Amino acid sequence: MGPVELLHMSVFSQSFSPCGRFLAAGNNYGEIAVFSLSAALSPDASQASQKPILNFTAHDGPVFSLLSTDTHLLSAGNGEISAWSWAELIKKSTKAAWTRKPSYETSLEIPEINAMIINPKDNSLIVGGGDNNIHIMDMETGIFKSVLKGHTDYIHCLCFKEREEEILSGGEDGAVRIWDSRTNRPVHCIEVFKYEECARPQFGKWISCLATDSDWMLCGGGPSLSLWHLRSMSPTSVFPLPGCQREAVFYQDLIMSVGEGPHVSHCLHGGTVKAQIPCTPSSLNTLALNLKNTEHRVMTVGGSSHQIDVFTNFSYKAFSLSF
Amino acid sequence: MHLCVRARMSIKFFQIVQLAYWRMGSITDDEVIRKRLLIDGDGAGDDRRINVLMKSFTKWCHSNFSPEEGFSQYQRMVTSLAQCEFSMGKTLLVYDMNLKEMENYEAIYADIEKSITSAHEKIAECKKEIQRAKRIRKNRQEYDALARVIKQHPDRHETLKQLEALDKELQQLSHIKENVEDKLELRKKQFHVLLTTIQELQQTLENDEKMESDDTQESPMENGD
Repeated sequence: MGPVELLHMSVFSQSFSPCGRFLAAGNNYGEIAVFSLSAALSPDASQASQKPILNFTAHDGPVFSLLSTDTHLLSAGNGEISAWSWAELIKKSTKAAWTRKPSYETSLEIPEINAMIINPKDNSLIVGGGDNNIHIMDMETGIFKSVLKGHTDYIHCLCFKEREEEILSGGEDGAVRIWDSRTNRPVHCIEVFKYEECARPQFGKWISCLATDSDWMLCGGGPSLSLWHLRSMSPTSVFPLPGCQREAVFYQDLIMSVGEGPHVSHCLHGGTVKAQIPCTPSSLNTLALNLKNTEHRVMTVGGSSHQIDVFTNFSYKAFSLSF
Repeated sequence: MHLCVRARMSIKFFQIVQLAYWRMGSITDDEVIRKRLLIDGDGAGDDRRINVLMKSFTKWCHSNFSPEEGFSQYQRMVTSLAQCEFSMGKTLLVYDMNLKEMENYEAIYADIEKSITSAHEKIAECKKEIQRAKRIRKNRQEYDALARVIKQHPDRHETLKQLEALDKELQQLSHIKENVEDKLELRKKQFHVLLTTIQELQQTLENDEKMESDDTQESPMENGD
């Protein structure tokens, strides 16, 4: 990997292993790198422990989305979903467990898959991508059982509400659609750009990040990052962040979001931006929190750089892993 | 104790000087060994005193001294014996002191262990408190956010009052409408009665006229006969 390639690398997706000791990251060259967190966080970590233990090419196109189940790592690239067993990856074997494609209407273009989530209730995988539809696949049988149509432009992000078993999807057409996962019917459609307090017409109407926390929803992208109360379908707070936010999560009493700009923003539910923590990439694409493992409880962010910043205390950057 | 320490230090200093000379090559190995054996042959400090005492005692027993010399030797041996006893007493006291210090340190150690565990517990509790406080803060913020949205809508009491007023108006107006309708009905009926009586009167008048005109027609017919 020459220096020019390293310079142009962007990290699009991250996922922690089920045991919480490894991090997998996908970049725009279609490679997935597996880093060992226990080595990087141990007291005698060195420069070498910040390099991946395994780096392989998984897809032809960029790896836009990574997802970990209890046993497998799912990666999505251009139109196909591959599954890799974590046990095999830790042993450095790069053979995919399976590769599947959702059924697309046109066989001419292969749309990319931008987001994947798991519905734990009925063990199904929900993917959304460039063909404006949401495909639902049963994890055990591998059959794509349903398609949710409704978006008029490609889907950027997906989210799942456990309590009501609803799927939320946000897309380039600026609409956040809420679907009931049991009946596969659309329930609501919120067009965020139509609300004056959130809309930023200079950036567009696309929605690139979604997060839910029971009755509350975060959405952002072209319009400002805003916190919505889903029961009343009204925006309650708008966060005054300058760039477009690409990923946001709820964590304890804070909201953390990353996007354009070399920092992680910590915000409070009331709408204030509490802190902006600087990091190495000039703009960030993905944020991941390792909450499964209490020893390696870190936050990692990746973006337009070959380095992935690791935060052990969420208030400052500890070190960087690099591809 | 201090004396023997000082003696030891001076001996060591002398040894170092010797070693320096030897390193510089001006003194040979044998010289060094001889010198060391001469100086240190008896051991250092108390050991040396005891060895010297033993040697002088044997010498005193075996040799023939004059009474004054013998007595002075005897005095010397008694003083060195007293010195040995003194240093022995000192070492015993030091030993006791060390034992007591050990106990003291053990007690302090146990104390510190206890305070470490209690600090750990306090830390765990404080962490729990932080979690609770964070949850509370989050709930408060959510409440505030919702309250802000709700405030944008008009007050419920006011709208209820407006609704009540409107209801009352509606009732009044329907009341009035009923009254007006009743009046209208009544007037209609009255006009109806009036008109029917007028019509009847007209009819009777017409009938009367007809009957009169019939009468006059009949009488010329009778005259014609």
